[in-house]
Order: sequence, then C-alpha cells, then structure tokens
Amino acid sequence: MASSSKTEQKKMLILKSSEEEEFEIEESIAVQSGTIKNMVEDDFTLIPLPNVDTETLIKIIKYMKKHGEKTKSNEKDIEEFDKEFVKKSFTELKELVLAANYLHITSLIDLLCQAFADRIKNKSVKAIREIFGIPNDFTPEEEAEVYEQHKWAHEEGKEHIDHSAY
Amino acid sequence: MGSGISGLVDHEKLTSNNGPFETGLGDLPESCIALVLTHLDPTEICKIGRVNRTFRQASLTDLVWELKLPENYQILVKKYHLDKNLWSNSSEESRRLTKKELYARLCRPHHFGSSNNKVFWMEKDRGICVCVSWKEMKITGIEDRRYWSHISSDESRFSTIAFLKQIWWVEVEGDLEFEFPAGNYSLFFRLQLGKTSRRLGRRICTVDQVHGWNIKPVQFQLSTSNGQEATTKYYLNEPGQWIHYHVGDFVVDKYSSMPTKLKFSMTQIDCTHTKGGLCLDSLLILPTEIGPKKSRLTS
Repeated sequence: MASSSKTEQKKMLILKSSEEEEFEIEESIAVQSGTIKNMVEDDFTLIPLPNVDTETLIKIIKYMKKHGEKTKSNEKDIEEFDKEFVKKSFTELKELVLAANYLHITSLIDLLCQAFADRIKNKSVKAIREIFGIPNDFTPEEEAEVYEQHKWAHEEGKEHIDHSAY
Repeated sequence: MGSGISGLVDHEKLTSNNGPFETGLGDLPESCIALVLTHLDPTEICKIGRVNRTFRQASLTDLVWELKLPENYQILVKKYHLDKNLWSNSSEESRRLTKKELYARLCRPHHFGSSNNKVFWMEKDRGICVCVSWKEMKITGIEDRRYWSHISSDESRFSTIAFLKQIWWVEVEGDLEFEFPAGNYSLFFRLQLGKTSRRLGRRICTVDQVHGWNIKPVQFQLSTSNGQEATTKYYLNEPGQWIHYHVGDFVVDKYSSMPTKLKFSMTQIDCTHTKGGLCLDSLLILPTEIGPKKSRLTS
C-alpha cells in the first residue's frame, strides 16, 4: 500500500490460530473479515482465533491477500484463483466454510457455499448421504411426510409446462 | 434486500455427531447449510431437505426461500390474497406463512379479474406468467353465431375457446394491468387452425372450415403505457395444433411501483376475402427466457 495521509499506514495485525501459531498480516487486508474488523475497532492488534486451526488459517490468509489486491484489471486473475481455491477435499472445504462463517468473510462464504452446492446438485438423496457420510435420522413417518412435501416441487412445475406444449 | 448473510454465525449450533462420519456436510451448522442451499434451485432444495433433520430444517428457513421469490412478491401476495389462511374463516388471524409456503402458493395458478378469466402463476425460479382468456377480449362479432361460437374445450386453461366459422373482419383487442416483477417478457396469442374433437378417446382435428389465412397475413400488436411497442405479421398455416404466435417483447423496469399496463391486438381486416376455421384460446405472457421457442414468421 502506498503511503497515505491517513494515520493508520500499513498497520500490521497478528492472527493466532487455535494451535497458537502466529501470522502477521496487514490490517487493511485482515478487515475483509467482519469479526476481525470488530476486534480492531476495539483496539486489538493480536487477534486470537481459537476456532481456526493453522492449516485453515493459512488458506484464509492466502484468500484475503489475493482479494485484498483486487483492482479493475485483475478480475480475471482473481476468478482463476477462486476456481483453483475450491478444488479441495470436502473436509478441507468444510473446515474453510466453518472458519469463513466464524470470521464473517462474506465473499469467501459465498464462494465456498457455491462450491458445495455445485457438488451436491443433481445427486440423489441416497448418494448425498453416502458421499458425505450423513446418517438418516428420520423416522419412517417423518421420511414419508418430507417426501410428500417434496412432491409439489415437481408436480406444480409440470402442470404448466404440459399446457403450453399443446 | 441485501444479501442477508451477516448475522448467521451460530457457533452453539454445531451438531455434535461424533460418530464415525467425519467428512463434509454432516456436521455443518444448520445456518451454513442454509447458505449452501441458497445456491440451489427450488427442486434441489426440497430434495436436499430429505437427507436428514438438520438439512430439513435448513431447507425450510425463510432466508433460503425469500431469495427465490420475485422481488415484488409482497405486492402480489397482498393484492391477490395469497396469504389467506385456507382453513379458517378469519384471514386476520392467519398464521404468518413461511417464505417456502408463499413460494409454493405462487407456483399455483391464481385466477383473477372480475370473472376469473385471467390467471397468473410462477414458473421455475422467479418468473411470473399470465394468461388471459379470449373472454376478456373485445372481439368483433363475438356474439353473432354466424361468425363466432363458444366451445368448451379441455385444451384450454379456461375450459372454453372461441371458434371462428367465417368472417371478413377479424379484430381481437384486449388490455391487461398487472404487477409484473422486473424483467423481460414475451407475449403470445394462442391459436389453432381447425376444430378439435375427440372420437373414441383420440384427438381429431377437423380442418375443412379452415380458409383465408394464407392470402394476407394477420397483424399482431402490443403496446405498453410507457411507450414500448411491437408489431408482427404472420400467415397462419399449420393446421391441427395449437401454436403460440409471438407478438413481441416488453421490459418491466426494476423500480416501477406501478403495475404494467398493456394493450394487445390481433387483426385481419382485408375485406377482399373471408377467413375462418380458427380457434382462439388466450393470450400468454411469459418471462422471455422460458417462452416457447416456436414463432411463425411471414414467408
């Protein structure tokens, strides 16, 4: 950042992971996180993040640094970065979304949720349970009820399409 | 409405399944799952709600469904009483509907107008569609049985179509005032050359009365109160099936709080020849992206 007349010039913060490892980062970049921004406003310079492990924090810092230098000219570049960024395992993505949620980084939350959505689109309920290892905790009655409620989504749409196909 | 994502941090809600399942979505908090769901289309959201209880709760949250509603849904709900409690007489006491319930209601057809000869519904993600029956239109000679007759039909949303036996002067006009959400719309007349009937359960179309449509084209027009206009001409020449003749498109602006006012018409008033054998059903307005691709061009 070029020198400015503002009082906070290149102010650095320290982020501390749950494993007590510390990382230095420019405040102007770190405040992309709403949580960190709030703490800065309360005059913190050492920001403990007990909910974020080192590995995840490193990735998040990488993301914020890339997005911190966003200009009109490097939009394509950032798009490419984002595309590569989400090419991770489910576990990694899960840790990232939990951390991004905790840190209130809106653009990252959006990016990760879209990545998750893309992966569960067009998969059957059974496949989703298997892939993500989610146990079915519905009772048979509940399951039937949910299925009934689901049907309208298909049937409503169909009724109108058929009519206009005449 | 903003993105509405802030304020959903919910550390306490971390589901504690410390079972053998470790990967992926299983132990994300409900609020996170809801965020993921906002990126899916409605059918997918309903499907995902069947995975487990947390997913089900997430799939019912207002946040997810509000984003799927047309941006002027509150106006539509109020004007057409979509939030009326169907099971009690006092609509004042009605429990506030969830956004998902509102979404489901919008997807169903709602008849409106003094004689319920107009209907609207929401198609797919956020598109509002409107259909206006011929009964709402001003048709020259419609009361005269020599020219036009009214036939019940199961091929019409309104269960009735107008059949033109023979006439020199075809003039059909109508207008519509409706609160379309912002977007691009296409307008079509739904017509068929030939009269349908059923014989032994099979659909038969009698075309012997069809004549006069390949001599001069029919003119279709559309205009809006804010100055948008479209005119097209078609020769009608595909008997035996219902066809949507594309009249034109119009745009509804984002910030207009006023309903859209349209006028539309269909004319063939060349008096050197008669025409007939035409079935007129309705006018259809759809968001342009989902409109039928068929359109008939003048040869």
